[in-house]
Formats: sequence, C-alpha cells, structure tokens
Amino acid sequence: MGKIQNQIFSSYLRNPVLYDELFDKTGEIKDIYSRLFELYGGHTIKEYVKLNDKAKSSFFNQGITFQVYGEKESTEKIFPFDLFPRIIAPEEWEIIERGAIQRSRALNLFLWDIYHEKKIIKQGIVPLELISSSANYLNQMVDLDPPGGIYNHISGTDIIKHNDGNYYVLEDNIRCPSGVSYVICNRTALKRALFGVFNHYRTHSVTNYAENLLDLLETVKPKGVDIPNVVVLTPGMYNSAFYEHSYLAKTMGVELVEGRDLFVENDFVYMKTTHGPEKIDVIYRRVDDVFIDPLEFRADSALGVPGLFAAYKKGNVTLANAPGTGVADDKAIYTYMPDIIKYYLDEDPILNNVHTYHCSKPDELKYVLEHINELVIKPVDEAGGYGISIGNRLSKEEIEEVKLQVKANPRKYVAQPIMSLSVHPTYIDDTESFEQRHVDLRTFTIMGRDRDFVLKGGLTRVALKKGNLIVNSSQGGGSKDTWVLKS
Amino acid sequence: MLARVANNLFWMGRYIERSEHIARYLNVNYFSSLDAPNQLSQSRQFVLRSMLFMVGNPELDDNVELEESQVLYKIGLDAENAFSILSNVKYARENANSARDLISTELYEAINKFYHYVNNYDADMFMKNSLHDFTVNVTEMTAVLRGKMRGTLLHDEIYAIIMMGINIERATQVIRIINAKHQDALNAQGSYGDKFSNSYEWTTLLKCAESYDMMRRFYKKTPTSISTLEFLILNPNCPRSVMNSLNQVYKHIKVLDPSKKYNKDSTAFLVGRVRSEYEFKYITEIEEDIQGFIENILNSLGLISQKMEKEFFNY
Repeated sequence: MGKIQNQIFSSYLRNPVLYDELFDKTGEIKDIYSRLFELYGGHTIKEYVKLNDKAKSSFFNQGITFQVYGEKESTEKIFPFDLFPRIIAPEEWEIIERGAIQRSRALNLFLWDIYHEKKIIKQGIVPLELISSSANYLNQMVDLDPPGGIYNHISGTDIIKHNDGNYYVLEDNIRCPSGVSYVICNRTALKRALFGVFNHYRTHSVTNYAENLLDLLETVKPKGVDIPNVVVLTPGMYNSAFYEHSYLAKTMGVELVEGRDLFVENDFVYMKTTHGPEKIDVIYRRVDDVFIDPLEFRADSALGVPGLFAAYKKGNVTLANAPGTGVADDKAIYTYMPDIIKYYLDEDPILNNVHTYHCSKPDELKYVLEHINELVIKPVDEAGGYGISIGNRLSKEEIEEVKLQVKANPRKYVAQPIMSLSVHPTYIDDTESFEQRHVDLRTFTIMGRDRDFVLKGGLTRVALKKGNLIVNSSQGGGSKDTWVLKS
Repeated sequence: MLARVANNLFWMGRYIERSEHIARYLNVNYFSSLDAPNQLSQSRQFVLRSMLFMVGNPELDDNVELEESQVLYKIGLDAENAFSILSNVKYARENANSARDLISTELYEAINKFYHYVNNYDADMFMKNSLHDFTVNVTEMTAVLRGKMRGTLLHDEIYAIIMMGINIERATQVIRIINAKHQDALNAQGSYGDKFSNSYEWTTLLKCAESYDMMRRFYKKTPTSISTLEFLILNPNCPRSVMNSLNQVYKHIKVLDPSKKYNKDSTAFLVGRVRSEYEFKYITEIEEDIQGFIENILNSLGLISQKMEKEFFNY
C-alpha cells in the first residue's frame, strides 16, 4: 500500500477489494485526482470541519431542505453533502453521454411501439406478459401520438462503476426523475466553500440545464402554437421535491403551477392568473400519471386537473414526460434493454446492463432460489430502494423468508449478481476523517424533437452508512459535486 | 401571475409586517414602562394587559394576575398561538415557499434566515433576559426584508401585490396600536395628575410606530393626544401613518389595474375612495370619536382586502 502523506487523509483506510475512485490498486493516487488531493491536503482537519459546516449552513439558508416528520413536530434537514468532489475524465464521460442518449432513444422507440403496433412483442423479443401485467401500461395511451413524437423527454439514468472498472446501468428513470437541482446546488455549495480549487481544473458548467430544458420543451409544442407557454406542474410545497420544482420554474422563467391553478375548457388548458385565464401549451409535470386527471385516472386525486387528459388526447397540450412511460422503466423491462437497443437502433449497448435473472422464468427462478446469498433480490415495481434484499447480508432465517416471498409471487421479483459499487473518499462527521463510501451516478438526459442534451455532470450519490450499497436519499444517502472535465 | 400565488404573496407581505409591529410593541411598551412617570404606567400588569390587547387576545377579567413570562412566551414564541411572532414568521415563510420561483433568491434567503432565527430562538432565554435582543433583531430583520424587496425584486405586479399586503397591514397595525395606547391613556388618566391629553402613553405610542423622532422634528413639542393622532393618522409624509399607507396602497393598485377610469366595483375605485376620505379630513373630526374612527377605518381596510380577493385572488 502506497504511503498517503496528507493530513486529512492520514487515517484513510483503503480496502483493496473495493474499487477506489481516488487510489489505484497499489494505493497510488490517480493522476486526475492528484492536484485536488494536494489542494485538499493543504487543510488541517480542523479547517476542513469549518468548511464543512459552512457548506451545510449554505444549504440551510438557501432553504434546500426536506422535512423529517417526528412524533410531535417536524424538523428540517439538509441533504448531506460531501465537499470532496468526484471527477470524471472526458474520455469516460464521452461513453456515459453516448450511452445515456442511446438508452433514452431506444426507450422512446420502445414506448412508441408498445403503444402502437407492438412489433417487438409480436416478434417475441419482449414477452407480452411484461406489458400486459404491468400496472404502468396505460390503455389510454394506445394509438396516441405525443406531440413531437417524444415520450421520455427527461430521463435519469442510474450508473455505477463495478470493481472491474466498467460502468453499468442499474436503472432508467423516465417517469419524473428528480435530483437535477442538487447537481446545481452542490456545485454552488462547493464553489462557496472551496472556490480556489476550481482554478486548477477545467470543469464543465452545470448551470445550463434549465435553458436547455426550456429550449427542448418548446420544440415539442402542440401543433398550431407559435410561441408556447410552458409551465411546471407540482404536487405542491409539501412534496419532498418541491424545491426542485420551484428551482426549475424559476430558472426557466416560467410559472410553477398546481393542479388547482389549472382548468380545462373545450379541451384547452388554462391557468388562473390575476388577470383571468391564460392558455398553456406545454406542461412539465412532476405529478405521477395516476394523479394528473381525476376524470381519467384516480378519481380521488386532488393534485390533477379534470379534463387534462382529454386535452392531451386532442393534441392541445404537451405533457412531459408523456403518461404511460412508467411501463418502460420497470425493473423487468430493464433486463431486456440490450435486446431493445439492438432491435430499434441496430446498435450494441454502449453502457453495460447488469445481468438479470427473471423469477418469472422457471429455470431462472430455480437458479435464484439456489444462489440467493450471491444475489440482490429486487421487487420490479418499487422505487426509492425499498424492498431490496442483498443476499450476502441476510441471515439464514431471512433467506428462507425471501425465498417464500419470491416463490409466492415470482413475477414481482428479479435478481442480479451483487455489484460492487465503487467507493469514494467521503468525510464522515462522527469520526472526523475520510472513509471509503459507495457511490453511484445519476445522469440527466433531455430529448427534444430533433436535439438531445445530456447535462455534463450528474448527481453522485453516496451511501453514508458504512458498507451500505443503497444510495437513495430516502435511505440516508448523501451526495457529491460531480466534475466532468473538458477534453 | 397565478391568482393563488398572488394571494400568497399578499399574505407574505402582511405577515412580515405584522411580526414587526408586534415585536416593536412588546419592546417599546416593556422598556418604556420601566421609567414611566406614573405608577400605573409602570405596573407590570398594566403593560402585560396592553400587550395582550394589541395582539387581539385581551384578558377580560380584571382580577386575573398575569404571569410575565407566560404572556411574553404566548406573544413571542408560542407556536400554538396564531398571533405569536413565531407563527407570523412561519406563515410568512410558508407563503414565500409557495412563490419561491417568483421572488428573488436574495429575498427568499433572507426570509428563510429570519424564520430559522425566530424558530431556533431559545424560549427560556427569551422569557428571562432576551426580550430586548429578540425584538430588536426581529424588527431589524424585517427592515432587511423590506430592503431586499425594494432592491432585488422587479417593480412589477409581484412587487405591487407584496407592497399592498405590507401597507394594508401597516395601516391595520398602526390603528391597532393607536387603539391599544388610546385605551392605556384613558386608563392611566388621573393617576398622579397625568392628564389624558398630555399622557406619557402618547410618547410610547409614537415609539411603538417608530415615529417619535420624526414627530419631534415635525412639531418640536412634547406630544399631546391631538398632535400624536394627527401625525400618525393624517400626516402623509410620516412613513408609518395611516395616510401614507393608504397612498402606498393606491399607488400599487394602479400597477395591478392600469385603467384610466375605474370600474365602480373595482378595488382601485374603493382604495381611491377611502384614501380621499382621509386626505381631506380634520383631526378634530377624528378626535371627537376615536372609537368610531377606528371601527370605520378597520372596516374599510377589511373591505379592500375582500375586494382584492374577489378581483385578483380568485382561484
């Protein structure tokens, strides 16, 4: 193990089994991080603690917080943020970017197909029951042409680096992926705390997300509209992602509306302003499918707009993302992604997929039941890291329990080999030192009528609990600023 | 602008302004009573009752002995009480939250800091020895907020709505303060030869409206009942006067309603009517029947608020 002569890294314990983003196998610092390592090493732990506190209060004062509901009162917490950034080299990024676009395009073509001719099913590439048994397949969307031909305008792709040094996609999120505002806030917080370090790296800016989002949303305007009126639709200020909704509306310079601000008349959508109704054309909605229109979906939804879907069907308003995209980011569909990419684009997947066993197939189910301790078992339709069992962490009794659950409802589960997420040095409050923590990366892709955009940066999420592989913020994850370097 | 959000911004302005007046009222009454010239004005009970009266929660039973720390807590930091400073600041921030995309980052951050300051204030310390520190900081932070509004918001409809909220609330609070101190002056009269018209309470009243120095400069005399009322109600150059607030409301409603000739059913028409009523008023007319005046103007302000709701906040 190489010698780490750096005060704030002096107690860094490197587990050689894990893929460390900063250090190579021999413990040498990787080239791309060496300058940053020196710069951070110039601080004592005491100074670093101060900077860390400053960054925290920056989030707090900006009101970038979420509520934790306790028994008596709710308290506000900030999302944990780590001051040590992750760096991605230009040649690695180039692969990620092309891979993310490839997947988004393939998913879009897939969605078009399964809501129209269903060729991919007829040809036996994707089994029919995956679609027909999916709660996220909306019959209302059949034969409907979304304006501009786009379903998944905004995609969030969750990517990890395995201990073989390669990137793997874990999940495509094409309903209402969130997190992009944290990419920008993390950058702001890091700039405020350690502005000096930015002089030593040529990093891509992340502040151009909103302008590109607005630009691309305008390209998918309904027919006959000259200058479209774009709005962001939020479930309201008690939603955990409300900060993001308001941030996007503000930076795009458009109105942030709630369902109760809108109404539909003669299949056109209007918002209620201080000067009467104003027509709107493109809705970037952050309300889930089933809540958007009580007339068409859940009748008890107070978040939606009665008649919105009828207006959409007439082509008078664009919804981004289109309703019904959830069928394609299902964990079961994920396992067919290499075939889906090949089928529609006639290309090999640029980003790896994790091999997946389908419990719905008898022989694969058998393999899963016999090898549970080497696998991760996931329900196909849960978000936020819930319901996941990691085989080698389970006791004997727990393994039996999982087996019973899977056997009872095989369609609900898939299994994957336990991927080893790469680790990144992360400052831990309790020990006042840097420790290895697992990280992943969420990238943000926007698709318009004839142009795509991938934000050069992304949300690096950190599992703050030692050894934990689940990075979701709802499970106590934090995040890091992510630098994509210019070539 | 969305009607719902306009409503929220209007109330954001009102709650910020309200928290400031309550804080100042606590501060001035408490501290000026410490060296008041007569026994009654010095009495703790007298001051505590006045505070409860001002926030609209008067203690009606004369025989009840009020506990100082309880009264201070109730008005300052009690989250259970809708009239407390803490509740007002909380409501202000909630309203700001819902309009976060419209107001400037600078203004939002200042409101957010304000909220955390009040919310995290140590209640024991506040009741024991930090009444001054707390109330002075609250008034200063509201001054920062006013500065951020003026300096970091586009002076368009959004600004006009907030300013209408602030000025309607300011007029309302100044009248409430006049009402409370008028009561106090009535109660204090006769105690050690303190006459109603020269009561020490008029000085306190002016200080409660941060207008004592301005008033001294204008009249160059010790405040009397009539000069104090004239200054705080009718003087258009005193930024805390009812007249000035009405002028501001009128100025900002014109941004929302640019018509040359107002519809008789419009808010702008009503504001204009109320404003002209006080522009051409003698103070003696008011002094004859102060209670009548107070009822009348509070009623008019209520009507303006209702009209706005109907005309602009309909969602």
